Amino acid sequence: MDRRTFLKIGAGVVATTAMGPLPQLVSCLHAKDTKASAKNKWGMVIDVAKCVEGCSVCMDACRKENNVSASNYWIRLATIKPKVPNAKPQPIPLLCNHCDDPFCVKVCLVKASFKRKDGIVLIDEHRCIGCRYCMIVCPYKSRSFVFKHYEETTNPDSPKRQHGVVEKCDFCVSRIDKGLMPACVEACPNKAMAFGNLNDPNSEVAKLIATGKAQRIRPDLGSKPKVYYLGL
Amino acid sequence: MKTYFTKIEGKSSGFYILLGILGVLAAAGLYSAYLMFAKGHYLTGMNNHVPWGLPIIITIYLIGLSAGSLVLSSLSSVFGKTEYKGFSRIAVYLAALLLVGALLSLGLDLGRPERIMLAFFYLNPQSIFSWNGFLYSSYILICIVYLWAMFKEKEKLVKIIGTLAVVWAVGVHSGTGGIFGFTSGRELYHSPLTPPSFVAAALSSGTGLTIILLVLTFKATRRFLDPQLIVGLSRLLVSFILVVLYFLAVENLTRIYSPASSEATHFLLFSGNVYCLIFWVGLIFIGSIVPAIILFIKKSVSWIVFSSALVVFGVLCERFIIVIPGQVLPSELFPGYEVSSPFMDGAMGSYFISPLEIIQAVGVLAIVGLLYILGLKFFAFLPEKK
Repeated sequence: MDRRTFLKIGAGVVATTAMGPLPQLVSCLHAKDTKASAKNKWGMVIDVAKCVEGCSVCMDACRKENNVSASNYWIRLATIKPKVPNAKPQPIPLLCNHCDDPFCVKVCLVKASFKRKDGIVLIDEHRCIGCRYCMIVCPYKSRSFVFKHYEETTNPDSPKRQHGVVEKCDFCVSRIDKGLMPACVEACPNKAMAFGNLNDPNSEVAKLIATGKAQRIRPDLGSKPKVYYLGL
Repeated sequence: MKTYFTKIEGKSSGFYILLGILGVLAAAGLYSAYLMFAKGHYLTGMNNHVPWGLPIIITIYLIGLSAGSLVLSSLSSVFGKTEYKGFSRIAVYLAALLLVGALLSLGLDLGRPERIMLAFFYLNPQSIFSWNGFLYSSYILICIVYLWAMFKEKEKLVKIIGTLAVVWAVGVHSGTGGIFGFTSGRELYHSPLTPPSFVAAALSSGTGLTIILLVLTFKATRRFLDPQLIVGLSRLLVSFILVVLYFLAVENLTRIYSPASSEATHFLLFSGNVYCLIFWVGLIFIGSIVPAIILFIKKSVSWIVFSSALVVFGVLCERFIIVIPGQVLPSELFPGYEVSSPFMDGAMGSYFISPLEIIQAVGVLAIVGLLYILGLKFFAFLPEKK
């Protein structure tokens, strides 16, 4: 083989590899039409005083709604305890904070992570290349990687979770677009979670935040989270 | 004095045996990458708490290694040290190859490698990773033009492209460091010093690898190698080692002094875990101090090759220390609180490299080696025998 043939074969291999993902690419170009309106800015207020240790209703409802596998969490019930003697443990649900200035959207090299006009942070699972940089930068550990193709579908309206991409809480965006509440909010037996439009001063969430008692997790990091907590 | 270049014959049994071994390793690596692609990343040691593992370590390692070859080629083409001209072609070729290996390792690590072309269609100007995709691919292009100019003996163009390549290399290594340094949520990643210290580590490991490969290649093809040239490179190497040590000292002293990050730094340096071992024994002692002392005392080629190997090993340890402990350490969601959850909030993550990841990493290295020896056969990279 002389040099010329070697180069020709090389160029052929490179060109063929480059053409491979083309059909997929074309289908991706139309991925982002949404029903979002900039009039809304969805947010959540969680009263942890109403939260019960050992309860898993919100987690179960989320799994069922979104076909999430057992190893991944879109919402999880953590327990926090101040590092002082005789402190009482406090259960607290953790989920994606749908930050207004999200690190994950900033770093995504293909813009698969994006923020809708109404503030919901989503992942385009048909565009995500699975590099996991967003998982590295998310300070809230809100993201999981789908390590294994997950066949079980408890909700046929929600997509099957394909392996190789990153997933996380989407505030049950398809339910919101139908005018429903997120599954966890609806399922909570103690009504600990409130969900609504932060832009509307008459909404329940806006009123709860106006009391001045709602706190966010690590707002000092500067990502402007939109999930608030009462009773911390 | 004019330097003439030639191809190697590549017909000896040794050549074919090497070709065969590298080919088998490469095939095994690609097969394990296929398994990960077809079945999922649960086959690796990575998990939701440590989502980046060996492939990322190998990626940033190979990117760094490519720096040394570029330094070597610039010695003759940019800084006018004509005695190094005989190395210049093979050095540029090696720089491009190592970058190709890095991109391969990165690409095979993706959950959806078939979508890699999307990275070129949807550039995100806010993402340092997106910038790096541009920097890496343009760097390979620059190396190709650089080589072409050398083959055509266009001295002036060689000097211009050589200078551009050096500037680009600083961008490539700083950008790679930025992937970690710009991460504000992780205490062991977030540092403005990461980009320059990546440049330093790249220069030391790269120079080390280049010395080893030059000596091996010249010996295997029975060419004469002036020991004085290797001694000259070893002087560069020892100064690069000292710069790496300086950056490590500054970075860790700053971290441990500030109460906000001292706990994380204690975890990395003094808590007696495997990371402390890799840091102190692998990186500092075996990878830096021992080779620096040898290089100060001994001036023979074999001692220089030995210490170069130690440096190359040391920087591999450094890359491990950069990628893994920063993820293992849980992010502090509630300062002043103990946290626990079914998703391991507040708990240490763990990462054990899976055999499949090792096979893939070896496969990537084998592909680089394969392209290296094939390049010697098809292109006039090496100086003529005297």
